[in-house]
Amino acid sequence: MSDNNGKSDIISLSKVGKSFWRGKERLDVLKELDLTMKEGSFEALMGPSGSGKSTLLNLIAGLDVPTSGSLKVAGSELSQMSEGDRAGFRAANIGFVFQTYNLMPVLTALENVELPLLLTSLSSADRRKRAETALKLVGLGDRMGHYPRQLSGGQEQRVTIARAIVTDPKIIVADEPTGDLDRESANDILNLLGRLNTELGKTIVMVTHDPAAAERATVCHRLDKGALAL
Amino acid sequence: MIPISYNVRSLMVRKTTTFATAGGIALVVFVLAAAMMLSAGVKKTLVAGGRPDNAIVTRKGSGAELSSSIESNAVGLILATPGVKKDETGAPLGSGETVVVIAQEKLGGAAGQVSNVLVRGVPDNVLKVRPDVHIISGRPAKPGTDECVIGKALVGNYAGMTVGQKFELKKNRAVEVVGVFEAGGSSFESEVWASLETARSSFGRDGLVSSVTVRLDSPGAFDKFKATIETDKQLLLEAERETSYYEKQSQATALFVSVLGTVISIFCAFGATLGAMNTMFAAVAQRKREVGTLLALGFSKFNILTSFVVESVVLAAVGGAVGLAASLLLTFAKVSLMNQASWSEITFSFSATPNILLGALVAGAGMGIIGGFLPALKAAGTSPIEAMRG
Amino acid sequence: MTLLGIAARNIGRNKLRTALTVTVVAISTLFFIMLRTVVWSWTSASEFAAKDRIATRHKVSFVMQLPRRYVDEIAQMPGVTSVSYANWFGGKDPKDENDFFATIATDPASLLKVYPEIKISEPQKQAWIADRRGAMIGDSLAKKKGWKVGDKITLAGSIFPGNWDFNVSGIYTTTTTNVDRATVWFHWDYLNESLPARSKDMVGWIVTNINDPGASGRMSKAVDAKFDDRDLQTITMSEAALNQSFLGMFSAILKAIDFVSVVMIAIMGLIIGNTIAMGVRERTNEYGVLRAIGFLPKHVAQFILGEALVIGIVGGLLGLALGYPFVNFGVGRFLEENMGQMFPQFRVQPQIAAMAFLLALGLAVVSAILPARKAAALQVVESLRRVG
Repeated sequence: MSDNNGKSDIISLSKVGKSFWRGKERLDVLKELDLTMKEGSFEALMGPSGSGKSTLLNLIAGLDVPTSGSLKVAGSELSQMSEGDRAGFRAANIGFVFQTYNLMPVLTALENVELPLLLTSLSSADRRKRAETALKLVGLGDRMGHYPRQLSGGQEQRVTIARAIVTDPKIIVADEPTGDLDRESANDILNLLGRLNTELGKTIVMVTHDPAAAERATVCHRLDKGALAL
Repeated sequence: MIPISYNVRSLMVRKTTTFATAGGIALVVFVLAAAMMLSAGVKKTLVAGGRPDNAIVTRKGSGAELSSSIESNAVGLILATPGVKKDETGAPLGSGETVVVIAQEKLGGAAGQVSNVLVRGVPDNVLKVRPDVHIISGRPAKPGTDECVIGKALVGNYAGMTVGQKFELKKNRAVEVVGVFEAGGSSFESEVWASLETARSSFGRDGLVSSVTVRLDSPGAFDKFKATIETDKQLLLEAERETSYYEKQSQATALFVSVLGTVISIFCAFGATLGAMNTMFAAVAQRKREVGTLLALGFSKFNILTSFVVESVVLAAVGGAVGLAASLLLTFAKVSLMNQASWSEITFSFSATPNILLGALVAGAGMGIIGGFLPALKAAGTSPIEAMRG
Repeated sequence: MTLLGIAARNIGRNKLRTALTVTVVAISTLFFIMLRTVVWSWTSASEFAAKDRIATRHKVSFVMQLPRRYVDEIAQMPGVTSVSYANWFGGKDPKDENDFFATIATDPASLLKVYPEIKISEPQKQAWIADRRGAMIGDSLAKKKGWKVGDKITLAGSIFPGNWDFNVSGIYTTTTTNVDRATVWFHWDYLNESLPARSKDMVGWIVTNINDPGASGRMSKAVDAKFDDRDLQTITMSEAALNQSFLGMFSAILKAIDFVSVVMIAIMGLIIGNTIAMGVRERTNEYGVLRAIGFLPKHVAQFILGEALVIGIVGGLLGLALGYPFVNFGVGRFLEENMGQMFPQFRVQPQIAAMAFLLALGLAVVSAILPARKAAALQVVESLRRVG
């Protein structure tokens, strides 16, 4: 595994715990985690189901708050932030790639990519231009007017990635991005993510249980019952 | 056959949707049942006043008591017609009556709001001809005086209409209410009964009556009686059985209510059925995998079809039952309507007949069948492989 | 591209569901228009009543009559410009006993003076005045019965027995909604001369034009005071008040119609709300993704309400589009011709159409509020959780 020399920590967790309540019962999904990730790194989170890897991803992405501990991402202390502030944080700093349900079926590929830009004050023309650039970057410049149902699974994920980078966030968060894809499309997506990491310097945090996907990462973390193994 | 418990449980899983849809159907069934019950109530109230062995004689072509006038000296001839029963003294059982509609101020309505009340001038033997009428408070009016009795539907609804109070038939012609009568729920309960002379002279109808009601020896004696009455070229009269006379009186109003109610119900039913269809389509889409499993397990397409139709019917039937139960509460309510034929206000109640209840329930189930059929068809057309994959 | 624009496009996702819901909204809107038009038609008569007309009837009963000479006495009162009178005849078409229309005996010349809303051509008017057996018939009724000027018609009397022959002298139309176009008017003299002595020279009601519309209250009292000490007393009121009191007798039906309007709204609300809720449930994951990329709960709510609003607009417009021809050319024509007494005019009024449309919109939005709040209140991670 290579090391990003001289780069600072873009993500740092200190004694982070996350618990859920089911009725009166308390489930401790994450237990006093300490973890750092460097800017520009490609990190994979792996582990059996129930290990808490998705929960960890949610915390890093600002989708949820830790029950205890401190969590600093891209310069912001997330554990103290309100829901509204976190939404703004996500819009500015995080790009999302989920396994499914990423795209709105009633919007074209271009319009889907434009979505995050609606939260900015860019003009309609500027939004279009940015979205076009992003789509071309992922190699779908010729499919901008297509609807999701007219695209293959792999192409949909590429549109998703275009959307994830259109606001130029520092971090891309991916939850099982290749889970629904065949081998060939999965490779394409992982190649693309790799390029975003090496060519554009994006930090990528990816949850996966596909060993082939994990191989693309520069750092791999294993979780088991809410704690880091290794 | 897929067990119904599957359907019931599926309905309970999506509680809010089920309640919303069933609620729509409940409302439709309620409105339909209410309209039909009122229409039946109108008929019942009006027909209740009639007996099959009473005949009512009016002037030919008049159509109703209010438009009819018969000379007083003709009354004796009518009473002497063969077929008319005699009472214990040998006198004919019949009463010549004068009917007028007066405007009386309604209590509890807008200021100055008047409504039409029917005043019937009756002879002394009227209770013998109409034995179903009973005084329930106070006493009968003394013959030949300015006393009157009022039907129980009037009590407290109009100015001056309570025992002991007076109201005016015309200027300086007041009548005193000395008693209240009940008449088996018939339209008589919305009338004022005063003495014939008082009524006639108050309304300038001296020497005339509006109609003559007679008791016949038997219901079968009617045809002969009618023939005798109507062949008299001098008098120009027509006779009708009391029951069918009142039935005709009720027709216009009953028809109006039932037509209005049916039109309203059809519109609402349209809406509710489409709502049920919507719900079932969503359910089918949501349970695609379940349906695929059932088909793979060996249930037939027909089983699937019936199952979803049954689910829709159960949904509708529950809504319908609730709507019906609510409509039954109406039987405690009373409605005052202007009866078209007599141009006076009559108090009706809601009559819940088994036919109506059954019909409303069937209508509810029908909405379920119609609403559920197309979605059920779609469910039955599911391909198990595609369903499992999705 | 805007939030509302996207919300609008969402209705195209499940075309069947949208079509069904829009249809329900359209039918409900149409029905609402019909109901309110019924109420309007019934009550409008009193709103359009002439302010300078007062009507006099027997104080005790609508069915009793006043002496003819009262008319002359009223005519001589100060403040009176013209007087007319009428008797209810109650005639029926012998060929169709169940067809109900008004037949009224009146004084032709004074009637037309007191009711300037009645329009009849001058030659027809003169013909009617000159012919004692002449009849002036409303155009709706004439059209329905196929009666034309010059025809001889026979009506069977119910109050006044026998067959009565009339010559159709003229057909009239009206300029306002408070006078119906389905009445047969004929000569009072023709009726009077055929009556027995005891019943002669009586009138059913008297209509008076006064020169000062603001004085209708005062004039009404003056008329009643004049006849107060006679044997047959009068009660006089403005035409508007008279119409109001007629309406009051049908208050039960009007209340029922109001109740049904509410029921209709409830049904519509339940169905729209249900549809929106179903759609929201199915799109929970999508809303989750939107929240993840930075949209706020309020944006999600706006999405949902926007979708409901569009359904309301489309359904409302469809209901209006169906409503106008249905009421004006279908039901309206039928009611005006066959029940002209109660519904002299049955047309969609702009304010009713507007109210119905706004109601569709408002209801659509209101019924989406609960699903919208529920969706907006969901935690992001909840929404993202894949629904099995």
